[in-house]
Amino acid sequence: MTSVGVRTRPGGFSTTSGAIPTTQRIRRVWDYRRILTLLVHRDLKVRYAGSALGYLWSVLDPLLMALVFWFIFTQIFHRHVGYPPYILFLVMGQMIMAWFQQGVTSTAKALRSEAQMVRSSSVPRELWVVRVALSKGVEYVYSLPVVALFAIAYRKPPTIYIVFLPLAMLLCFGLVMSIGLALSVLSVLVRDIDRLIPIVLRFLFYCSPVLYSIQDVPKNLRGFAAYNPLAGFLTLSRASFFPQELYWRSVIVAIVWIVVLFSAGVWVFTRFESQVLKEI
Amino acid sequence: MTQPPDPIISVRNVGVSFAKNRRRKRSLRDLLFKGSLGPGTNAPGEFWPFRNVSFDISPGESIGVVGRNGAGKSTMLRLIAGVLIPDEGEVSVHAGVAPLIALTGGFEGELSGRENVRYVSGLHGMSEEEIDDAFPEIVEFSEIGDFLDTPFKHYSSGMKVRLAFSVVSRLSEPILLVDEVLAVGDKAFKAKCLKRIDSLLEGGTTLFMVSHGEGALKRYCDRGLYLDGTGLAFDGPIEEAIDKYERDLGMVAQPGQNDDFALDSLADV
Repeated sequence: MTSVGVRTRPGGFSTTSGAIPTTQRIRRVWDYRRILTLLVHRDLKVRYAGSALGYLWSVLDPLLMALVFWFIFTQIFHRHVGYPPYILFLVMGQMIMAWFQQGVTSTAKALRSEAQMVRSSSVPRELWVVRVALSKGVEYVYSLPVVALFAIAYRKPPTIYIVFLPLAMLLCFGLVMSIGLALSVLSVLVRDIDRLIPIVLRFLFYCSPVLYSIQDVPKNLRGFAAYNPLAGFLTLSRASFFPQELYWRSVIVAIVWIVVLFSAGVWVFTRFESQVLKEI
Repeated sequence: MTQPPDPIISVRNVGVSFAKNRRRKRSLRDLLFKGSLGPGTNAPGEFWPFRNVSFDISPGESIGVVGRNGAGKSTMLRLIAGVLIPDEGEVSVHAGVAPLIALTGGFEGELSGRENVRYVSGLHGMSEEEIDDAFPEIVEFSEIGDFLDTPFKHYSSGMKVRLAFSVVSRLSEPILLVDEVLAVGDKAFKAKCLKRIDSLLEGGTTLFMVSHGEGALKRYCDRGLYLDGTGLAFDGPIEEAIDKYERDLGMVAQPGQNDDFALDSLADV
């Protein structure tokens, strides 16, 4: 039997009809962490294969959207939401929101896009989902220099709350992974999930404090807005530059959401995994 | 058969069910209104290619699985590859597996052959050092030559499979799984593939092979499992397994059957 230390993955395995407990699933992903690193590494290599241009592509979409919204809300309408400089406020929100949106879209395809590998390798299937959520996260980190550029251009120094940025990222990662676990298997079994995802994502985009601050939500709706699972990472990441954005309630709500969604995601994944393997 | 104490593969009371007449995908409506998608929900519509199958495989054995289409040969192979979860029973594999199935899985079109070799070997469990060691040999075996730094997507299909075969067959895992995909490349390369498998077997690799092709089975395997569509009908010497299979086929058996093509043509080389 080969040991985990020498090789990048454990040597053997055992599969039964019974469900695998969650703790064991998590440990299995951990055992395969070197392969996970390899996969993320490969994703980035593919993504940035054309070097500079590849990088541009990954930040272009959120950046362009931010510019469009900046134009609409400051040049056409007279903005009274968010905080100045509004473009920095937007970019900061857009970038992490892009992680969430692209993360959910691609985790839903995580198993199908690696169907060949899923059919031939005993790598734990969760790995394909976690890998996508992580890759998108690394892309987010790579996009931060763009944010820094805007901050420098507008001479807006970061606040001390920038120390919470990793926590914001953890929240976003947790959500993407939890939702992705469920969607990755469901989208194999149910044909219209793929159509539903962009609709729900667009809906969530406008419901979430991306274009506006959670403080801009009228008082009577504020409590409701705070229950949005996305508000946590949005407000917390923006607090790096806009301390007014710090709203712990939405962070705590997000953590609760993640616990619930993660449990649900693992349950769905466990429930349908064996069926997905037959159909993929 | 005498069983040495420690089996490398152990299959216990295993069964797998498939949905009969299943459509490729369900709609959200089915999920919401027809209840669960889980196994066992539409019992009349499911079928079990095999049930209650048990066997042990000792290190170094070479097993060939025979049976008609739909008898569950590939299903059995996939169970042992760990890419299918049994609905009943337990499959334990006590060592690493090199799957010669879905060969080009994990290869990324945008990356060069060189990068792909490194990544895919890594995905299959090789460490950096092992990859460094094996790299020249993999490249040489694949006969890719000058195309090593060309993006994988520009390779011909033959080159793709050759490179993939070179990687997977060089994994030096104790267990080798072979599906009927072996007919890769031109005649000369096929001969090389066969030799590679021979040398792996000499090195003590455990082989688990699925085929309709009598030639390949007789050449490589010493033990045969015969799946007759309900379960494991025979487990014993490969010749007897093939005999029994062919007797059951009776008049239906025809020498030039389509399925025989893959490995038979190989065995002729």
